[in-house]
Order: sequence, then structure tokens, then C-alpha cells
Amino acid sequence: MVKVKYLCIAALMVILGIVIAITVFPSEEKRVKKQFRLLSGWVSKSTEENAITMLRRMKDIGSLFDAHCELKVPDQPLSGSYTREEISTYAGSARSQVSQLDLKFYDLQVVFPEKEVAKVTLTARLTGRSTAGERTDETRELECLLRKIEKKWLFSQIEVIEVLKK
Amino acid sequence: MDVHHKIRQFFFPSITSKFLIRVSSVALSAYLFFGYLCIPFSIRGISMEPTYHNGGINFCWRLRYLFSEPKRHDVVAIRFAGSKVMLLKRVIALEGEKVELRNGKLFIDGRGIEEPYVRYPSAWNLSPRQVDKDCIYVVGDNRSMPIDDHHFGQASKSRIMGVPLW
Repeated sequence: MVKVKYLCIAALMVILGIVIAITVFPSEEKRVKKQFRLLSGWVSKSTEENAITMLRRMKDIGSLFDAHCELKVPDQPLSGSYTREEISTYAGSARSQVSQLDLKFYDLQVVFPEKEVAKVTLTARLTGRSTAGERTDETRELECLLRKIEKKWLFSQIEVIEVLKK
Repeated sequence: MDVHHKIRQFFFPSITSKFLIRVSSVALSAYLFFGYLCIPFSIRGISMEPTYHNGGINFCWRLRYLFSEPKRHDVVAIRFAGSKVMLLKRVIALEGEKVELRNGKLFIDGRGIEEPYVRYPSAWNLSPRQVDKDCIYVVGDNRSMPIDDHHFGQASKSRIMGVPLW
């Protein structure tokens, strides 16, 4: 009986150890996915957001991107290379035009084609309401490239994949 | 065994190994069936009105095209990066066909096609375009909305997840 008790305690401690190890030392895939979680949280906006939070979010969003990030959107003049500062400014300007915004990522598939490079395919859904009360609901498939720079995974390329070609 | 005991046994069964095996197999079967074969989804948006309403619930039957090919007028679920977000659309043209819309009326290879499921008046115009190999052309049933607000076009057959159950 005593032996069973000790075995149970040992098994529990092993499980606890594994959980702590996974939490403290997450895999590279989890680190990459965390960047998307952060981007989703920082882009999203609630109706109660004040100016200070908005400024902080602008800076936070920029910190997730490489010094130069390439955006590829089929048949759109938006395509091009943007600096971190430009992304922050555009994000701030876009967020100021909406009263509420929600960005969610689904079905993230992470692969590592090269060392310190992650390629992520995912579905992004952006819903919100403009300050004029107009509703927005956009869903796109994205292919993102992230590079590991100074132990941080940063977005270096975002491509919009055309699911339906007119 | 009296009725009272039977009822009690039904709602509060004895935790035997047989019972645990039965519960596990039911849970596993349900997970596989509803996770991979018959995926539940909720409809958001009005692009398939009046056939499918915003807020409706349905299931995506994935085995529909296991031994057959999609046909014109079929309603299909098109995936983005995964199965979490899909587009529900109507197949209007198949590979190699030339699709065109003239004042809301569908023309395939220059021939007018009846679409009884399009109930709202439409004045859409779409110049003729050929559907590529291994692709289908999909559109929603609600063509009373502005053409620019409607997500439609050519999709690869590999993106078809299945069909709605009803």
C-alpha cells in the first residue's frame, strides 16, 4: 500500500516536471504561435480603449515586425516593403478609424524551411465596426515568414493567398 | 430488477471496466466523426441567402466527393488554411467552361443557365472567363448585394472540404 502511494507521488512529480519544462522552455513552434497571439491581441480594439493604450499598442505592434517587412497582396496597391515604423503608423491610423476591432487567427500550420526561419499558413479573420458604424468582416488565408532575430521571432513577410480568383 | 433500480442504473451506472470501454469508444467515435467526417459549422453572413440564412447551423459532409466530382448547382464548403473557417458557395461552372454573368443571368459557354435558387433580383455583370484545370467557379446565391462586396470566383478543387448535409 505504501509502495503504491509513493509510486503515485513519483508519477505526479514526473507529470508536474514535464508540465513545468514545457511551460518554461516552450518549443520553437509555440514561440512562433505566441507572436500571432500577441499580434491578435494588440491589433484588436475594444470600445473602451483610451489614447494611452492606443499609443502603446501602436508601438507594441511595430515590435513584432522585422526592420523591413514585405507585404504581398494580389491585385492591390498595398503590396510593398514597409519599415517597422511605417507599420506602427499605418496600424495606428487604421485602428483610429474603427471603434471596435477583433483579429483572430485559425488553423496555424508552422513549418521551419530553414534554420531560424518559420513559415506559417493560417486563416485570419478581421471583424469590427468603423467609427461611422459600418461593419467589417474580412477573412483571408495568409502565408507568413518569420525570422528569428536576437532570440525573437519577427514577421518579415506576409502574403495574402488568393482562395477565390475572380 | 425493478424499474426504479433500472432507472437508477441508467443514470448512475456502476463504473466497471466494460462501462469505461463503452464510454471511451463512444467518445472516440464522436470525436472522429464530428472532427473529420461530419464537421459542424455555423453560417455567418448573407451571401447564400435565401438558401442558407445567417446564424444557421449545419454539418459539412466530407465524403461527398470521395467517388464523384462536383457538379453544377452543388453547394460546397471551400476551405481557407484549414477547416475552422470555410466559405459556403454554389458551383456555377466546371473546369474548362467559360462563365459569364449578363445582367444577373448566368451564361456557360454562351448558353443561358436557369438558376432557381437565385431568388433576389440581380444586375451583376461579369465578363467571360475560362475556368482553369482542376478548378470550379463558385458564387453565392444572394446576388442582390453589390458584386464588389461578394466573395466569389475560381477555387481549386483541392480546397473543397465537402457539402452541407441539408
